[in-house]
Amino acid sequence: MTHLFQIRYNNTQGTLMRILMAASRRGLPMPYVQAMPVGDAHEARLLLDVSDKQVAQLYRDWHGTVDVFDVRSMQAAEEGWNASIDAGAPMPPASTRIDGQSRSAMA
Amino acid sequence: MLRGADIVLRCLRAEGVDMVFGYPGGAIMPLYDALDGSGIRHILSRHEQGAVFAAEGYARSTGKTGVAIATSGPGATNLVTGIADAKMDSVPLVCITGQVRSILIGTDAFQETDVFGLTLPLTKWSRLATSIEEIPDIIAQGFYWAQAGRPGPVLLDFPVDLLKAKMEFKGPSTFSLPSASNGHAKPDFWPKLQTLLQGAKKPFVLVGAGAKLSGACDPLTELLDTLQIPACATVHGLGAIPSDKTYYTGMVGMHGTKASNMALHETDLLLVFGARLDDRVTGEPSRFAPDAKIVHFEIDPAQLDRVRPCQLPVVGNLNQTVPQFHNEVRNVKLPDWSEWRAVACGPERAEVDSRGLSQPATRFLDALFEQLPDNSFVITDVGQHQMWAAQRYRKNSPRGFITSGGLGAMGFGLPAAIGVQLANPEACVVCISGDGGFQMNLQELATVHRLKLPVKMVIIDNKYLGMVRQWQQLFYERNYAETDMSDNPDFVAISKAYGIHAALLGVEAVAGLVAPPSTAKSLFRFLQSPEPELLVFECPKEANVYPMVPAGAALSEMVFEEE
Repeated sequence: MTHLFQIRYNNTQGTLMRILMAASRRGLPMPYVQAMPVGDAHEARLLLDVSDKQVAQLYRDWHGTVDVFDVRSMQAAEEGWNASIDAGAPMPPASTRIDGQSRSAMA
Repeated sequence: MLRGADIVLRCLRAEGVDMVFGYPGGAIMPLYDALDGSGIRHILSRHEQGAVFAAEGYARSTGKTGVAIATSGPGATNLVTGIADAKMDSVPLVCITGQVRSILIGTDAFQETDVFGLTLPLTKWSRLATSIEEIPDIIAQGFYWAQAGRPGPVLLDFPVDLLKAKMEFKGPSTFSLPSASNGHAKPDFWPKLQTLLQGAKKPFVLVGAGAKLSGACDPLTELLDTLQIPACATVHGLGAIPSDKTYYTGMVGMHGTKASNMALHETDLLLVFGARLDDRVTGEPSRFAPDAKIVHFEIDPAQLDRVRPCQLPVVGNLNQTVPQFHNEVRNVKLPDWSEWRAVACGPERAEVDSRGLSQPATRFLDALFEQLPDNSFVITDVGQHQMWAAQRYRKNSPRGFITSGGLGAMGFGLPAAIGVQLANPEACVVCISGDGGFQMNLQELATVHRLKLPVKMVIIDNKYLGMVRQWQQLFYERNYAETDMSDNPDFVAISKAYGIHAALLGVEAVAGLVAPPSTAKSLFRFLQSPEPELLVFECPKEANVYPMVPAGAALSEMVFEEE
């Protein structure tokens, strides 16, 4: 089931990476990730295809992460999250093209 | 003006650090240069993994934060196993690493490793210092997070140029969260718990490391004395409940007692105190305590519902929530559970199957543990000897049994014992290792010798990687692939080469069911020696640890011999 997670955090060293690693350690693909400042804090939005059990595990992992202070999720209808991605979301840096090549291809 | 290195050491002193474990190298040299006169004793290991395990031993035996120091690159990567071990077993640990000069970070400089990135999933908190001004605050926060809530490891990475730079030092920082919980659970847990208790016919208690970490062993024992509910302990919970309590059923889990595993399978109300219920405790998770409602007392909400949902989570520090529970329950008439207690703790289940106990290694350990003085610590490595020792350990000392239980890191035993001995110089410290694990960090014999630490080292030598071989025997049709160690070195000669007295004990020393007086006498001498000593016990090659819950089986499906 696809879920959209919204995680509020203080943007201290490594906190965003710890948030993402909760997904990567479970082998979950991350088709969409966005991180941005929101008020005095930051918010990461992750779209993940997860089971109910994984939702609970992720919640607990994130709540146990220092500098994460709020976690919310909603089950995302496909057209809904597509719309949210199109709504002005910046492209990930890895897709930036340099001389017609993606950076990741040049690595 | 003080150098960054001096500031680091002053901040460590302010955190109460008087001993650190480490190994020098290029990027951490300024810190070593500043050590003399800092008031901090440095213990030189012979490998960074030895340093971090020793720091863990120091922390596990005292509850204080252990500190390990290493240089950048390989020094830092050699800490990683210890950091993972501390994460799994909730050990307060601060690792300090040198890093290449700030300007070189990200250039693949000599001995550069992204240790900050490497350890992100293993640490509770970490920082790569970017300015000398940050150092006091980073250290204060690091020590706070190492101990806060569920303790764990912290990594602080200092580029060498910051350690050499100078600034006016205004004093150490302090850090604490203003909103930190006082450890009390929400008061509404009692009515729900009371209802569950009143409806329970077969209640059972499982005690984990949290009881020790929170200093709640005494209040928990008092609570259990009131409840008179059968109770077991995880391997990390050993010693939390006095083993002579009539309601105590022993260790639970893959190599737990029949009494504990059967009671856990049959219970209809499971009270968990400070345990995360990992797979070595639960057996097949889907068949764990199948009829039980679970009440989980836990400081870390992230540990709740990992295996299956609990009906009542009680989040808070056990040294607060257990007395809360006791205050409520002492005024209540509880159901009569004597019939269930007679079954769960009765003679039919009171001892594990004799076939599992009549083999020489357990008889040897019985004879050894019989002689242990009260002020003693048993540290194990990882493998069969670890489980034999856990099965036979009977001391009522909350921090007295120390083992790498979560990560299961071979090589843990000897360096951890060094840390325990240094933290507890008057104690009798006994390290039980296997022949495989001992060879993973035997270079630390040099540390033992240099410091003249009276650590008592035991190698249970079966010339195999015994636990893997046991699984190969039972589940891989005796295909003993790469577990043979019949060409082990002469451990006695190696020990003597390091200047440590060593002796060999053959299996005949425990030929009878009770060790002969001569064996008891030699074990007494071994333990009472003021010097370090190594004793190699030659164990039959194919001895197994029983009872055993095979992988994928329920706890009730223990095996007691090869089928």
